[in-house]
Amino acid sequence: MWKYLLEKEFKQFFRDPGLPRMALMFPVLMMLVFPFAVSMEIRNINLAVVDSDRSEESSRLLERCTSSGYFRLVAFCGSPEEAMRLMNENKADAIITIASDFSREIGNGSGFPVGIKVNTVNGTRGSIASQYLQNCIMMYLQDRNSREAGSSVQSAASAPAAQSVSAGPAINVSEKYYFNTHLDYKLFMIPALIVIGITMITAFLPSLNIVSEKETGTIEQINVTPVGKSAFIICKMIPYWAIAFFVLTACLLIAWAVFGYVCRGNVLWLYLYTTLDIIVMAGLGLLISNYSSNAQQAMFVIWFFAVIFMLMSGIFTPIASMPGWAQAITYLNPMRYYADAMRSVFLKGSSPLDIWYDAAGLASIGAAMVCWAIASYRKSS
Amino acid sequence: MDRNAVEIRNLTKKFGDFTAVDNISFNVRKGEIFGFLGANGAGKTTAMRILCGLSLPTAGEGTVAGYDINTQQEKIKRHIGYMSQKFSLYPDLTVRENIRLFGGIYGLRDRQIREKTDALLGMLEMQSEKDRFAGSLPLGWKQKLAFSIAMIHDPEIIFLDEPTGGVDPETRRRFWEMIYDASEKGTTVFVTTHYMDEAEYCDRVSVMVDGRIAALDSPERLKSEYGADNMDEVFRIIVR
Repeated sequence: MWKYLLEKEFKQFFRDPGLPRMALMFPVLMMLVFPFAVSMEIRNINLAVVDSDRSEESSRLLERCTSSGYFRLVAFCGSPEEAMRLMNENKADAIITIASDFSREIGNGSGFPVGIKVNTVNGTRGSIASQYLQNCIMMYLQDRNSREAGSSVQSAASAPAAQSVSAGPAINVSEKYYFNTHLDYKLFMIPALIVIGITMITAFLPSLNIVSEKETGTIEQINVTPVGKSAFIICKMIPYWAIAFFVLTACLLIAWAVFGYVCRGNVLWLYLYTTLDIIVMAGLGLLISNYSSNAQQAMFVIWFFAVIFMLMSGIFTPIASMPGWAQAITYLNPMRYYADAMRSVFLKGSSPLDIWYDAAGLASIGAAMVCWAIASYRKSS
Repeated sequence: MDRNAVEIRNLTKKFGDFTAVDNISFNVRKGEIFGFLGANGAGKTTAMRILCGLSLPTAGEGTVAGYDINTQQEKIKRHIGYMSQKFSLYPDLTVRENIRLFGGIYGLRDRQIREKTDALLGMLEMQSEKDRFAGSLPLGWKQKLAFSIAMIHDPEIIFLDEPTGGVDPETRRRFWEMIYDASEKGTTVFVTTHYMDEAEYCDRVSVMVDGRIAALDSPERLKSEYGADNMDEVFRIIVR
């Protein structure tokens, strides 16, 4: 009986006008387009400049800013008002104002007449822009200090010049980034994108499939036969599980071939956590189809869950910075555990010994979902 | 028990406050063609779904093919065939694949399925359509195919829910020939309909009104009892 049901599901899958193509396109889109689209790296910040000094020093400073690659110089403005107008028109994200006494003041070290204004309508973008600008200025200062030190060495170093070098930060903080050394956002997002893809495929597609059988009435023809409900449901899900593993494998291969990213941990753990997630999602998919009598209803429920899953999962925003009550909600979100596990294995090389809690979370949510789904599935009403 | 394919006692089905089937009792004898008549919404389909194990009764008891409708639904399902008023074969599978699927579901072996497929296609004169998608067939063919597939495991009882809805008179006549064939082979036929001319073809008919059985007898006796020329008149008198 299983053989015939599986044969039916696979035939129907490959005959569907959209599904096979989607299964192929999904990994490609997820790996080649989305990592760039969901990048939170702030680039192309439009910078307006009000340079009242117009000296060699001020152009060195600007040179520092534009060569960082984060800023795009949009305008040299004659007055602060003009720059402000550009910001109001959304043509400038940040304004750097250099006072007319810049090169003189910086020479005698008394003050630092540079102003920064940033547009913080998008708070993250604004604050990062301001940080970048400050970094650029710091680098400019370091450059300048070493230049002066260099020249003072040549001209038989004098004490005050040497002092001005050491007047820099007294505490030397050395930074070292672990796991994602270059703070590469794409590397951070790739395991998470796989998580989103697998969830869509294994929870939402089968539930739509079951609901469509309800709509056409074919499920009733099956219900009046001796086919067991679990056999019918499992046969329905198997093709999607196969596709989920295909998509996972394809994504890992693309990540390696295109970006050179390799999973740090044992790839087997990625598959293990994916299997756990698949069980959770099978339960969820079945639950949705049990409680929806038509595709439209199912779509609404799916949409509801998809949004909550993604926004409350820590994929786009760190869970640690959510308020306590929101953090509490994330504990009910299977995607939270799955995303954490995939990132940990992929980026840190974790094994289930390190992230047992993710497995425990997925397993307990999965058990609850599957039990509920089976209890609520009826062959007869 | 031996003579009856279906025995129903005091069957009731309620949906909330609404009583779809109200305390009905009847027997269906083995091998007979039993017509289940009634206006739309009279409770025909609800009662039939209970007999098929698709729905549980709110109250009452009964057996179908010797199995209890309350507790042995899965056993009932092995011994009955069911064709709903909605075409419910897979439209994206071919004629042959549909036959194969349902044959397999009822536990036929590959070889048996092949034989059945050939026999079935021959009988339906559909050999040239065997690789056509079931969804693309004309309605009349769909109905005949659905009927044949519901009969694929030689069930003791076949339940037909308004099988001839929406098809032309010629196809309806042919469909009834198939029903007679099945009946001659010993299959009990339980058929709901609202075509009164079809009621004449049945051995016995029951007329449901508002969830109750208002009359149950052979068409001849009903006609003489109500002094009517045909079943259509009988039905009008009863419903009034």
